[in-house]
Amino acid sequence: MALSLSGVILPKLMQQRTFSVSATVAAIQKLTRVRVVDNSALGNAHHHRAPKVIHVYTKNGVGKVGDRVLLAIKGQKKKALIVGHKMPGARMTPRFDSNNVVLIEENGNPTGTRIKTPLPTHLRKMEGEYSKLLAIAQRFV
Amino acid sequence: MTALTCRFISLADGLLRVAPVIVCRTGAALQRTPVIHCVRTHRTNTWWDEHLTEENSSFLKKIIADEYQQLTADKLNPLKDEPWARQEWVEGSRRVGLVAVKLGMMPVWTKSGERHVVTMLQVQDCHVVKHLSKEEYNGKTAALVVGGKNVSPFHRPEGYLEIFRNAGIPPKQKLTTFCVTDNSIIKPGTPLYAAHFRPGQYVDITGKTIGKGFQGVMKRWGFKGQPASHGQTKTHRRPGSLGPGGDPAKVFKGKKMPGRMGNVYDTVYGLKIWRVNTKYNVLYVNGSVPGHRNCIVKVRDTVLPNRFEKNKSPPFPTFFADGDEELPEDLYDEDMFQFGEPMPE
Amino acid sequence: MAACTRRASETMGLLRILRNLTHNERLLSTSVMRHAAASDGPPKFTPPAKPVIIDKTQKEASLRRFLSPEFIPPRQRTNPVKFSVERKDMIQRRKVLNIPEFYVGSILAVSMSDPHASGNLNRFVGICTQRSGKGLGATFILRNVVEGQGVEICYELYSPRMRNIEVLKLEKRLDDNLMYLRDALSEYSTFDFNMQPVRFELTGDVSVNQLKVKMKPKPWSKRWERPKFNIQGIRFDLCLTPEMMEHAQKWGEPWREYDMLKEYDTSSLEKQIFQEVEENLSK
Repeated sequence: MALSLSGVILPKLMQQRTFSVSATVAAIQKLTRVRVVDNSALGNAHHHRAPKVIHVYTKNGVGKVGDRVLLAIKGQKKKALIVGHKMPGARMTPRFDSNNVVLIEENGNPTGTRIKTPLPTHLRKMEGEYSKLLAIAQRFV
Repeated sequence: MTALTCRFISLADGLLRVAPVIVCRTGAALQRTPVIHCVRTHRTNTWWDEHLTEENSSFLKKIIADEYQQLTADKLNPLKDEPWARQEWVEGSRRVGLVAVKLGMMPVWTKSGERHVVTMLQVQDCHVVKHLSKEEYNGKTAALVVGGKNVSPFHRPEGYLEIFRNAGIPPKQKLTTFCVTDNSIIKPGTPLYAAHFRPGQYVDITGKTIGKGFQGVMKRWGFKGQPASHGQTKTHRRPGSLGPGGDPAKVFKGKKMPGRMGNVYDTVYGLKIWRVNTKYNVLYVNGSVPGHRNCIVKVRDTVLPNRFEKNKSPPFPTFFADGDEELPEDLYDEDMFQFGEPMPE
Repeated sequence: MAACTRRASETMGLLRILRNLTHNERLLSTSVMRHAAASDGPPKFTPPAKPVIIDKTQKEASLRRFLSPEFIPPRQRTNPVKFSVERKDMIQRRKVLNIPEFYVGSILAVSMSDPHASGNLNRFVGICTQRSGKGLGATFILRNVVEGQGVEICYELYSPRMRNIEVLKLEKRLDDNLMYLRDALSEYSTFDFNMQPVRFELTGDVSVNQLKVKMKPKPWSKRWERPKFNIQGIRFDLCLTPEMMEHAQKWGEPWREYDMLKEYDTSSLEKQIFQEVEENLSK
């Protein structure tokens, strides 16, 4: 595409190269590139490689909201919780424009201290397990 | 009119002796050579309206339709005049079932806001056609033949129509047999309604699955197939090996292979009834049911033993629309959200 | 069969009216009795003033003849009884829940009951990007950008969890499906949650917003320039070259519009259903 457009004067918008960091429309599986939505240093540090899912802790290998995943982020392994994905879930539940995760420690506590993006309310079903994570959320939809 | 048709048959003399044709074969028999005979056959069956004027046939069509509508509309209850003793429901009784038409699917919601999908089955002109006693049927149980969905009597064989004439009901598109216990037999001619089943009961539904035509093993049996690339030549959706080679030296019987898929009878077990519409005779059955839209299915009480608890003391032997039991237009399961209600929670 | 059932439904309607009459009579008679017992005077009946029900939520009800699209049955060989039975339920539900007139492109505020939300109520504001489904399974999708995050919610129109649907801005857009807003700049799908309802005309045609959106750079979720989408509301001139637009015409199927088998004229059906819905809703 870039070759065919060279020589043509185009708006600035078109000239910037973008990388899709999420799979088109599918739930989260191995090698899905995800967006870290908390304010942890690890998640927000710039790196040439986007965080990538290297394992999903479910029986069928498909992660939905509330499932744990293992990320390869900045050359290290880190666990994370899925808090939203592009694939539409059940009716009356939100669908997000990106695949969002929040970094968590081994014991389920969040690594960061704030989550800026909205979380789906049905994540509250896991109140017991991730109460600290839900407590730092700013907004629910 | 008896149609005269000529057939040309080329046969040897020896074959002619056994051939059931009326022909003067004295001359031919003498010749002992293959000859061509002209055989006359009588075709006795005619179209039903072959001798009728157009007016007459349309009149007949109309009057028959009216008569049959009248027959179904009269909620005739043969039990009334000459009753077969009605008995009480006991544990282990097997009731008769229904023949219904699949209308389509729609969602329902429970009071807690959960969504389920249901299939709507309409019971159209369902009647008991015949009672088969234990000896007549198979020596083990008695049976009831039930028919559903009125059809035109024209273009039907005489023997088929006689069954319905004996029962005093219009001819049906579909006849099915239900094995019943001796205490739940119903007199032929009794109409059956959707209220035969009640919300909360569990049923089994038999229908003919949608025909898929000749299909390969991947679609028909869910085989894995072969990779799309990596050096495959003409091998992507094939079955692969059919079995061991040298020792059995055969393909075992029942090997899953390509072939005709669908268009066979299939039963789904243990479907819950969410709602019954007594006015239009519609059953709302949980989940999906084999068959296409407008296909005819067979509905009976479930045979799953762990659902017997839910099926206790149903209308027995069936629901009679003679005014003994006044029913509202819609019967709902207690969990089901009714659309006229204000919102729960 | 259909004629027969219709006749049956008419008679049932008559019966229902009769039953209502007797019911009212009973109510009246009891009130008279009470009146007599209180004042001991001659039992002179004075009818109570008819209560004027003012529903504040419905003050902006549209006067247009509008039939919600899910009432129109799809074109298929299904028994019409199925749709009429389903329609009854839909009308029953509409008596309880006010489902206003809205279109793709309108801005709505929807409250649904949600056991996990605070106060069991979840309110969401967004632009309606799609309406789909027929009968009771009808759905619509609302889209908004919250805290820089695009969010879409697919609502079931007849679900008991729906509490309230409020039209904040009634308008149409150039297209019947606004799924391309996913690939448009986020400003086009950002709406304030505290937005005040905009007054709209109660009669006449619904205004069409002639807004054309600017897109994010490709890749998009779909190739919106292709003729099969027939998108009017995108500024293609900003993001695609004329050559690319011409290239997309390669997938055009201009003969489709002459396919007479695909024609489905619902106008008479619509009229009939509209009448039925009106009668039953006012009952």
